[in-house]
Amino acid sequence: MKRPPMLMHMRVEGHGRAFGLWLPLFLMLPLALVALILLCPLILVTTAILWPSGWGRRAWLTLRASVDMFCAMRGLSIDVHSGRQSMSVSVV
Amino acid sequence: MSDNKKKILEMLAKNKISADDAYRLLSAIDGGEGRREGAGRAETAVNSRAKYLRVTVLPNPESERSGSYDRVNIRVPMSLIRAGIKLTSLIPSEARDKVNLALHEKGIDFDARNMKPEDIEELIGALSDLEVDVVSKNGESVKVFVE
Repeated sequence: MKRPPMLMHMRVEGHGRAFGLWLPLFLMLPLALVALILLCPLILVTTAILWPSGWGRRAWLTLRASVDMFCAMRGLSIDVHSGRQSMSVSVV
Repeated sequence: MSDNKKKILEMLAKNKISADDAYRLLSAIDGGEGRREGAGRAETAVNSRAKYLRVTVLPNPESERSGSYDRVNIRVPMSLIRAGIKLTSLIPSEARDKVNLALHEKGIDFDARNMKPEDIEELIGALSDLEVDVVSKNGESVKVFVE
Protein backbone atom coordinates (compact mmCIF):
# COMPACT_ATOMS: atom_id res chain seq x y z
CA MET A 1 0.00 0.00 0.00
CA LYS A 2 1.21 3.50 -0.81
CA ARG A 3 2.15 5.90 1.93
CA PRO A 4 -0.40 8.66 2.53
CA PRO A 5 0.67 12.28 2.14
CA MET A 6 2.20 13.83 5.23
CA LEU A 7 1.81 17.57 4.67
CA MET A 8 -0.25 19.94 2.59
CA HIS A 9 0.95 23.46 1.92
CA MET A 10 -1.45 26.18 0.79
CA ARG A 11 -0.54 29.75 -0.05
CA VAL A 12 -2.82 32.55 -1.21
CA GLU A 13 -1.42 35.92 -2.19
CA GLY A 14 -3.23 39.04 -3.39
CA HIS A 15 -4.04 42.68 -2.70
CA GLY A 16 -0.80 43.10 -0.75
CA ARG A 17 -1.63 40.26 1.61
CA ALA A 18 -0.27 36.78 1.77
CA PHE A 19 -1.60 33.79 3.65
CA GLY A 20 0.24 30.52 3.97
CA LEU A 21 -0.80 27.36 5.75
CA TRP A 22 0.94 24.07 6.42
CA LEU A 23 -1.58 21.32 7.13
CA PRO A 24 -0.03 18.40 9.02
CA LEU A 25 -2.00 15.56 7.43
CA PHE A 26 -0.01 13.01 9.43
CA LEU A 27 -1.66 14.34 12.59
CA MET A 28 -5.10 13.79 11.06
CA LEU A 29 -4.41 10.14 10.27
CA PRO A 30 -4.67 8.97 13.92
CA LEU A 31 -7.91 10.97 14.24
CA ALA A 32 -9.26 9.35 11.08
CA LEU A 33 -8.29 5.94 12.47
CA VAL A 34 -10.14 6.61 15.73
CA ALA A 35 -13.21 7.79 13.78
CA LEU A 36 -13.02 4.65 11.63
CA ILE A 37 -12.85 2.40 14.70
CA LEU A 38 -15.82 4.20 16.30
CA LEU A 39 -17.86 4.04 13.11
CA CYS A 40 -16.79 0.48 12.28
CA PRO A 41 -19.92 -1.26 13.68
CA LEU A 42 -22.21 1.17 11.86
CA ILE A 43 -20.27 0.72 8.60
CA LEU A 44 -20.36 -3.08 8.91
CA VAL A 45 -24.10 -3.18 9.66
CA THR A 46 -24.91 -0.78 6.81
CA THR A 47 -22.71 -2.76 4.41
CA ALA A 48 -24.35 -6.05 5.46
CA ILE A 49 -27.84 -4.58 4.96
CA LEU A 50 -26.99 -3.11 1.57
CA TRP A 51 -24.90 -6.08 0.34
CA PRO A 52 -27.78 -8.03 -1.34
CA SER A 53 -28.78 -4.97 -3.39
CA GLY A 54 -25.18 -4.54 -4.62
CA TRP A 55 -24.79 -1.11 -3.03
CA GLY A 56 -22.84 -2.48 -0.06
CA ARG A 57 -20.06 -3.80 -2.30
CA ARG A 58 -20.08 -0.58 -4.28
CA ALA A 59 -19.84 1.52 -1.09
CA TRP A 60 -17.00 -0.67 0.17
CA LEU A 61 -15.09 -0.35 -3.13
CA THR A 62 -15.72 3.41 -3.21
CA LEU A 63 -14.28 3.74 0.30
CA ARG A 64 -11.20 1.80 -0.78
CA ALA A 65 -10.83 3.81 -3.99
CA SER A 66 -11.13 7.05 -1.99
CA VAL A 67 -8.31 5.96 0.32
CA ASP A 68 -6.24 5.05 -2.78
CA MET A 69 -6.92 8.48 -4.24
CA PHE A 70 -5.93 10.20 -1.01
CA CYS A 71 -2.65 8.23 -0.95
CA ALA A 72 -2.04 9.01 -4.63
CA MET A 73 -2.24 12.76 -3.94
CA ARG A 74 1.37 12.75 -2.78
CA GLY A 75 3.34 14.92 -5.20
CA LEU A 76 0.38 16.97 -6.43
CA SER A 77 1.28 20.58 -7.00
CA ILE A 78 -0.89 23.41 -8.29
CA ASP A 79 0.50 26.89 -8.76
CA VAL A 80 -1.68 29.55 -10.36
CA HIS A 81 -0.70 33.19 -10.76
CA SER A 82 -3.13 35.67 -12.27
CA GLY A 83 -2.46 39.37 -12.34
CA ARG A 84 -1.38 40.28 -8.83
CA GLN A 85 -3.02 37.28 -7.21
CA SER A 86 -1.57 33.85 -6.81
CA MET A 87 -2.55 30.60 -5.22
CA SER A 88 -0.53 27.46 -4.70
CA VAL A 89 -1.29 24.07 -3.22
CA SER A 90 1.22 21.30 -2.83
CA VAL A 91 0.93 17.93 -1.20
CA VAL A 92 4.06 16.37 0.23
CA MET B 1 4.02 -26.13 -18.52
CA SER B 2 0.88 -24.99 -16.73
CA ASP B 3 -1.66 -27.41 -15.22
CA ASN B 4 -4.30 -26.33 -17.73
CA LYS B 5 -2.07 -27.21 -20.67
CA LYS B 6 -1.29 -30.62 -19.12
CA LYS B 7 -5.00 -31.31 -18.65
CA ILE B 8 -5.73 -30.41 -22.28
CA LEU B 9 -2.96 -32.71 -23.52
CA GLU B 10 -4.20 -35.53 -21.26
CA MET B 11 -7.73 -35.09 -22.61
CA LEU B 12 -6.32 -35.21 -26.15
CA ALA B 13 -4.33 -38.38 -25.33
CA LYS B 14 -7.48 -40.02 -23.95
CA ASN B 15 -9.40 -38.97 -27.12
CA LYS B 16 -11.83 -36.94 -25.03
CA ILE B 17 -11.29 -33.91 -27.31
CA SER B 18 -10.19 -33.56 -30.92
CA ALA B 19 -6.83 -32.15 -32.02
CA ASP B 20 -8.60 -28.99 -33.27
CA ASP B 21 -10.26 -28.45 -29.90
CA ALA B 22 -6.93 -28.96 -28.13
CA TYR B 23 -5.24 -26.45 -30.43
CA ARG B 24 -8.02 -23.90 -29.85
CA LEU B 25 -7.84 -24.33 -26.06
CA LEU B 26 -4.04 -24.11 -26.00
CA SER B 27 -4.14 -20.97 -28.15
CA ALA B 28 -6.69 -19.41 -25.81
CA ILE B 29 -4.48 -20.16 -22.79
CA ASP B 30 -1.36 -18.79 -24.53
CA GLY B 31 -3.28 -15.66 -25.57
CA GLY B 32 -4.51 -15.06 -22.03
CA GLU B 33 -1.04 -15.51 -20.55
CA GLY B 34 0.48 -13.28 -23.21
CA ARG B 35 -2.03 -10.54 -22.49
CA ARG B 36 -1.39 -10.76 -18.74
CA GLU B 37 2.38 -10.63 -19.28
CA GLY B 38 1.97 -7.75 -21.72
CA ALA B 39 -0.20 -5.79 -19.30
CA GLY B 40 2.30 -6.46 -16.51
CA ARG B 41 5.21 -5.31 -18.67
CA ALA B 42 3.28 -2.20 -19.76
CA GLU B 43 2.48 -1.37 -16.14
CA THR B 44 6.12 -1.78 -15.10
CA ALA B 45 7.31 0.32 -18.02
CA VAL B 46 4.78 3.06 -17.28
CA ASN B 47 5.60 3.00 -13.57
CA SER B 48 9.31 3.35 -14.27
CA ARG B 49 8.90 6.05 -16.90
CA ALA B 50 6.10 8.50 -16.27
CA LYS B 51 5.63 9.94 -12.81
CA TYR B 52 3.85 13.25 -13.29
CA LEU B 53 1.61 14.96 -15.81
CA ARG B 54 2.67 18.59 -16.10
CA VAL B 55 0.56 21.46 -17.40
CA THR B 56 2.28 24.82 -17.67
CA VAL B 57 1.09 28.16 -18.99
CA LEU B 58 3.97 30.62 -19.26
CA PRO B 59 3.54 34.32 -20.05
CA ASN B 60 5.57 36.22 -22.61
CA PRO B 61 8.65 37.93 -21.09
CA GLU B 62 7.28 41.45 -21.66
CA SER B 63 4.10 40.96 -19.65
CA GLU B 64 6.11 39.12 -16.98
CA ARG B 65 8.29 42.18 -16.56
CA SER B 66 5.25 44.43 -16.30
CA GLY B 67 3.93 42.27 -13.45
CA SER B 68 0.47 41.70 -14.94
CA TYR B 69 0.49 38.17 -16.29
CA ASP B 70 -1.09 34.74 -15.91
CA ARG B 71 1.02 31.75 -15.08
CA VAL B 72 -0.09 28.19 -14.33
CA ASN B 73 2.07 25.32 -13.21
CA ILE B 74 0.30 22.08 -12.37
CA ARG B 75 1.91 18.76 -11.55
CA VAL B 76 -0.41 15.77 -11.24
CA PRO B 77 1.00 12.40 -10.12
CA MET B 78 0.22 9.62 -12.59
CA SER B 79 -0.93 7.47 -9.66
CA LEU B 80 -3.66 10.05 -8.98
CA ILE B 81 -4.83 9.84 -12.60
CA ARG B 82 -4.81 6.04 -12.35
CA ALA B 83 -6.83 6.13 -9.11
CA GLY B 84 -9.27 8.62 -10.64
CA ILE B 85 -9.88 6.46 -13.69
CA LYS B 86 -10.40 3.43 -11.46
CA LEU B 87 -12.94 5.43 -9.48
CA THR B 88 -15.03 5.91 -12.65
CA SER B 89 -15.65 2.15 -12.73
CA LEU B 90 -17.66 2.57 -9.50
CA ILE B 91 -20.13 5.00 -11.02
CA PRO B 92 -23.63 3.43 -10.72
CA SER B 93 -24.96 2.05 -14.00
CA GLU B 94 -27.90 4.52 -14.02
CA ALA B 95 -25.54 7.49 -13.76
CA ARG B 96 -23.11 5.90 -16.23
CA ASP B 97 -25.88 5.58 -18.85
CA LYS B 98 -26.60 9.28 -18.46
CA VAL B 99 -22.89 10.10 -18.82
CA ASN B 100 -22.61 7.90 -21.91
CA LEU B 101 -25.70 9.54 -23.42
CA ALA B 102 -24.35 13.03 -22.74
CA LEU B 103 -21.00 12.06 -24.30
CA HIS B 104 -22.80 10.55 -27.31
CA GLU B 105 -24.72 13.80 -27.79
CA LYS B 106 -21.37 15.61 -27.92
CA GLY B 107 -20.19 13.16 -30.57
CA ILE B 108 -17.98 11.09 -28.25
CA ASP B 109 -18.74 7.39 -28.42
CA PHE B 110 -17.14 6.27 -25.19
CA ASP B 111 -18.52 3.68 -22.83
CA ALA B 112 -16.92 3.68 -19.38
CA ARG B 113 -18.29 0.14 -18.81
CA ASN B 114 -15.79 -1.21 -21.33
CA MET B 115 -12.86 0.20 -19.40
CA LYS B 116 -10.64 -2.61 -18.07
CA PRO B 117 -7.53 -2.34 -15.83
CA GLU B 118 -5.23 -3.17 -18.78
CA ASP B 119 -6.95 -0.41 -20.80
CA ILE B 120 -6.18 2.05 -18.01
CA GLU B 121 -2.51 1.09 -18.13
CA GLU B 122 -2.53 1.39 -21.92
CA LEU B 123 -4.14 4.81 -21.67
CA ILE B 124 -1.58 6.02 -19.14
CA GLY B 125 1.18 4.46 -21.24
CA ALA B 126 -0.06 6.46 -24.21
CA LEU B 127 -0.06 9.59 -22.05
CA SER B 128 3.68 9.15 -21.48
CA ASP B 129 4.27 9.94 -25.16
CA LEU B 130 2.03 13.01 -25.00
CA GLU B 131 3.55 16.41 -25.54
CA VAL B 132 1.54 19.51 -26.33
CA ASP B 133 3.38 22.77 -26.95
CA VAL B 134 1.34 25.76 -28.09
CA VAL B 135 2.59 29.35 -28.39
CA SER B 136 -0.09 31.98 -28.83
CA LYS B 137 0.15 35.19 -30.86
CA ASN B 138 0.87 37.27 -27.76
CA GLY B 139 3.76 35.01 -26.78
CA GLU B 140 2.04 32.90 -24.12
CA SER B 141 3.18 29.33 -24.10
CA VAL B 142 1.06 26.32 -23.08
CA LYS B 143 2.77 23.01 -22.49
CA VAL B 144 1.31 19.65 -21.50
CA PHE B 145 3.79 16.85 -21.01
CA VAL B 146 4.72 13.89 -18.86
CA GLU B 147 7.92 13.67 -16.84
